[in-house]
Parts: sequence; C-alpha cells; structure tokens
Amino acid sequence: MSDPTDIVSCADLAIGHGRKVIMDRLSFALPAGRILAIVGPSGCGKSTLMRALGGLDAPLGGSARLLGVDLATADEPARQEILRRSGFLFQGAALFSSLTLRENIEMPMREFLRCPAKEIRQLAEYKLALVGLADAMDKLPSEISGGMAKRAGIARAMALDPRVIFLDEPSAGLDPMSSGRLDELILRLREAFGTTVVLVSHEIPSILRTADFCIYLDPETGTMGAYGPPKSFLQAGQPPKVHAFFTQARID
Amino acid sequence: MSQPPSGSPFARTEVRADGHAVVTIGGVWNLDDPLPSVVIRGDRVRVVSEGLGDFDSSLPAWLHAHGKNIREFDLSALPPRLQSLVRMAEKAAYQETGDEKPGLLEQFGTWGVESGSSWARAFEHIGHTSLGFARMLIGRAKVNWADFSLQLQTAGVDALPIVALLGFLTGLIMAYVGLIQLRQVGATVYVANLVSLAMTREMGALMTGVIACGRTSTAFASQLGSMNVSQETDALRALGIQPVEYLALPRILAVTLMVPLLAVFATFVGVFGGMVVACAGDLSIEQYLTQAVRAISFKSFLVGVIKSVAFGFIAAWAGCYRGSVAKRSALGVGEAATSAAVLGITLIVVADALFAVIFNLFNL
Repeated sequence: MSDPTDIVSCADLAIGHGRKVIMDRLSFALPAGRILAIVGPSGCGKSTLMRALGGLDAPLGGSARLLGVDLATADEPARQEILRRSGFLFQGAALFSSLTLRENIEMPMREFLRCPAKEIRQLAEYKLALVGLADAMDKLPSEISGGMAKRAGIARAMALDPRVIFLDEPSAGLDPMSSGRLDELILRLREAFGTTVVLVSHEIPSILRTADFCIYLDPETGTMGAYGPPKSFLQAGQPPKVHAFFTQARID
Repeated sequence: MSQPPSGSPFARTEVRADGHAVVTIGGVWNLDDPLPSVVIRGDRVRVVSEGLGDFDSSLPAWLHAHGKNIREFDLSALPPRLQSLVRMAEKAAYQETGDEKPGLLEQFGTWGVESGSSWARAFEHIGHTSLGFARMLIGRAKVNWADFSLQLQTAGVDALPIVALLGFLTGLIMAYVGLIQLRQVGATVYVANLVSLAMTREMGALMTGVIACGRTSTAFASQLGSMNVSQETDALRALGIQPVEYLALPRILAVTLMVPLLAVFATFVGVFGGMVVACAGDLSIEQYLTQAVRAISFKSFLVGVIKSVAFGFIAAWAGCYRGSVAKRSALGVGEAATSAAVLGITLIVVADALFAVIFNLFNL
C-alpha cells in the first residue's frame, strides 16, 4: 500500500494510551502536497493518531512512516532529521510564554540552522509576515488573541520549511471569521510551499474547504470507518455513521 | 556571464542611468547556506533572476527583508511562484496594528503610571485581604481550611530545621563579636545579656521573617501565579468565590500564626548558640543562664512576638499579592516569586525600623 513518495503512511497501525489500544487496523497513505483531515467523535483517538503519525508517540502495533521512514525503528540521528522536516501546531498553540513571537519562531532556526543572527531574524520576520503577524513580532504570547496564537504556532511549525505539518484542531475556539482566515492560510501555505498537511478537526465546513482526504475514526469498531475525499462523505452510499456525522455536523 | 543553477546563492546590484537599480539574483538558495550581502540603494528597484536554481523560504525572506523599505520594488521579472511567496508576506500583513516604539518621555511617563498603578493594586489587595478577614470573622467568607492546615505544616513545622540552624548560627556569631569587644573592658559576662536581648527583641523575629520570605513568600507567589496562568483563579471568580478569601486568607493566617512560634523557637536556639561560644571560653553555664534570664523581660519578649506577627503577615501577604498579579506566563510566575521575596524582605526591614521608633516612643 505504501509508496516511497508518500509523505505519511501507515500499515495495520494500532494506537492507544499506555498499553490500552483504542484504534487499530489503520492503513492509509497520503501523497505529497495533500491535506488530510482526521475526524471522528470526541475521544476516539484523533490527536493520538496524529501524534503517532508525527513520531511523537510510538505505535502499539503495525507501522507508521513519515517521509518514508518508520520513526519507531529509526536510529536517533535519522529520527531527528525527519522530525526537523516536520512541524507541529498543538491545540493550545504551545508558544513559549517567556519569548516574544519573533523569538518563538527564531528558536528552532537557532537550534538547527547555521545562518548568522541577521538572516535568522529576516527569516522569522518573513514567516510571521506570511501568517499576518508582521506587526505583532515583539509581543509576548500572553498579549495576543487565540487566533493570533494559532497563526504564530503555524509560523513556528513552518520555521524550517517542513515538508509536512501536523495541526491539532487549528480552528478550535476561533470565531468563524478567524477560522475562515486560518483555512485560507493553510491553503495558501500548501500552494506556496507544497507542504503536506495533516490536521485534526471537528469543523466540518472547514474540512470541506481545505482537505483533499479525510479519515473517519469509528470508536465503536475501533478502526477507521471511511477514508476518501471529504465531499464524498456527504453523498449517499457512504457508511451510514459517516454520512450522518458529516451531514448532522453540517446541519448543526 | 550566466551562473549555473547548482551554484551558491548570489545577488549583485547595478544602478542604471535613469536612476533605476537592478538587483540580479541567482544560484541555489538554501536555509543552511550563507546568504549574499548587498546594499540596495534607490527608490525604484527591479529584481531579475539569472541562473536561478532551487530555492526555499530563504530567498523570499531575503527579498521581503530587502524590499520592505523600497517604494517601488518590481518583482515582475521573477518566476511566478517566487513572486507569490514574497507577495503573500506583504498581503498577509493585515488587522492588528503594531505599537510604535515610545520616546524617552513617554517611557518615563509609562513607568510612572505603571508604578502608581502597581502601588494602587497593592493597596487594593490589602483592602481585599482586610475585608476578607472581616467577612471570615462573621462567617461569610469562603475559606479553604484544608489549605490552612497544610500551610501550618509546610510554612511552620517544615521550616523548623532551617530556622534552628540559622537561629543557632546567629546567636553564635553575636556571641563571638560581643566577646571580642566585651573582653577589652572586662565585662564578658554581659555577652549573655547581649545575645539574649538581641535574639528576643530583634534577631529571632527578623531572621524568621527573612526565612519566611525566602521559602514561603516565593512558594505562595509561584502557587498563585501558576493558578493565574491556568485560569484557576478565574474559575474561582466564575463560581462566585473570591480568590483572596479562598486562597490568600488561609495562607496568611497560617503564616501569621506560625512565624511567631518559629521566632520564639529561633530565640531559644540563638541563646543556646551564644551559650556554646560563651561557655567555651569565659563563662560557666550557670553564669550565662543567670545573666540571660535577668536580661529578658516580659516587655522584650512581647516586642519580639509583636514584630514576628507583623513579619509573618508581611511575608505571607507579599507572596499572595505578587502571585495574584503575576503575568500569565512561565516568566511571569518566576518574576512573581522573585519580586515576592524582594518585596517581603524590604517591607520587613522597613517595618522593623518603624517598630524601633514606635517602641522607643512608648519606652518598650
């Protein structure tokens, strides 16, 4: 099933907390430059799956490959190299509270790039300008709104020009306007940099706008209920639970 | 003249006769490679490419940085993808407007206003604390009594070893210094008076207050500051519970009760420390104890206790106050802990000086 050009893929993957498996038999692959949305009811393991795909947690079975490498079996230098080429936006943005937005973006650059400080500063300013925060560079995370924090989190995730970014509920807690702007930003970044995106979301309109593929996790069967383009989930002929999840959410 | 696309990144400028500057860029641009350094002069600049190979965000970032202060920065001759990467950063600069860097006078004014409001907040907190005490006395305050007993343990009993050590050493040092001076006039027996009186009236309370600032104020500031960060104090307010009553009152009460007890303990240990030094040389244990008991009056004892009650209150209040106004960040919590210790110790020394004047006035 896995193609060497796939950015993210998994085969018979089992995930869970501690030793308890909450989802297994997960197999799918995501080609470069595409956006994958992971959806499902609360507590079904969406974020856990994303962490396993991103190499933050070891799978409980099967394998997950990121940029063609199985991070659970890779040696540490290879693992570090792959993690360097991926970016994460956590649910609460997880910005370093004692650093300004600019310093937050510069931090991974200082750690991994060998450029002089002036160039790092230029890069950080550009990345912040990309997400519309050119005027808030010297603010602390405590001084900005939730939407701005999410955008700054994306800028930090994009700091090292990753080939893939993982976004955990990027629109959670945002008003519809901010959420719409964030969707636009994700699409623009994908278009400009060819970045592959894996995102966890509950926002069906946002998923329909942005995602090329969607995986529905079914907590009752403990595995994926459907995989395909999100718009197809709205059509008849889909598993009833998946169809209901998408149409109900849309009505709501 | 054309550069191979696999070469290092380069940029060069030339100024044309009509005043236009032309910047030529080329090579492979990579985040890990050093970028070319050029000075671009002029208001109208056209950027062209020559042998431009692969590039990552280092090239649009470079163009973004160099073009932002130029009136006409023409990128139309560049590949469309590069143009869009630079324009994305320009277009995205929307909404939130930035703050201009304030001038010196404005900075001074801001400092003045902030200092004033900081004092206002401190007095407001004292007011809330006093009201809280009043409400507690009439049984209307919601106080976390589980915290009270926990703080009796952590701020009181757990502090015994460090109070004993510092009290003993303080008495010992005073006895050493005193003996050196008193030996010159043949009055070494009065070292007992010196140590016991100083420990009872002054050093027992002062040392315990300083220790309380170091270990209790900072702990309170960190606890309450962290609760601020995680919005636990907001949650209390949303439930209709005053954080000052629920969190600060039990802590202040516990420390105000425990510091006098610790101070009395420190006084006894300090007198014992002085005895070790005095009896090692010039005095017998009986002489030392007789002199010490003669020197300590009930008034001196009362002075020490009154001071230690005040110092305990100050130490606990400083921690609770700085914690409650901590900024919502890891740095803010650290700053709150530091400033709680500084504020506590400063206020204790100021209060000690005031006590000295007041007790002198009343002949105590």
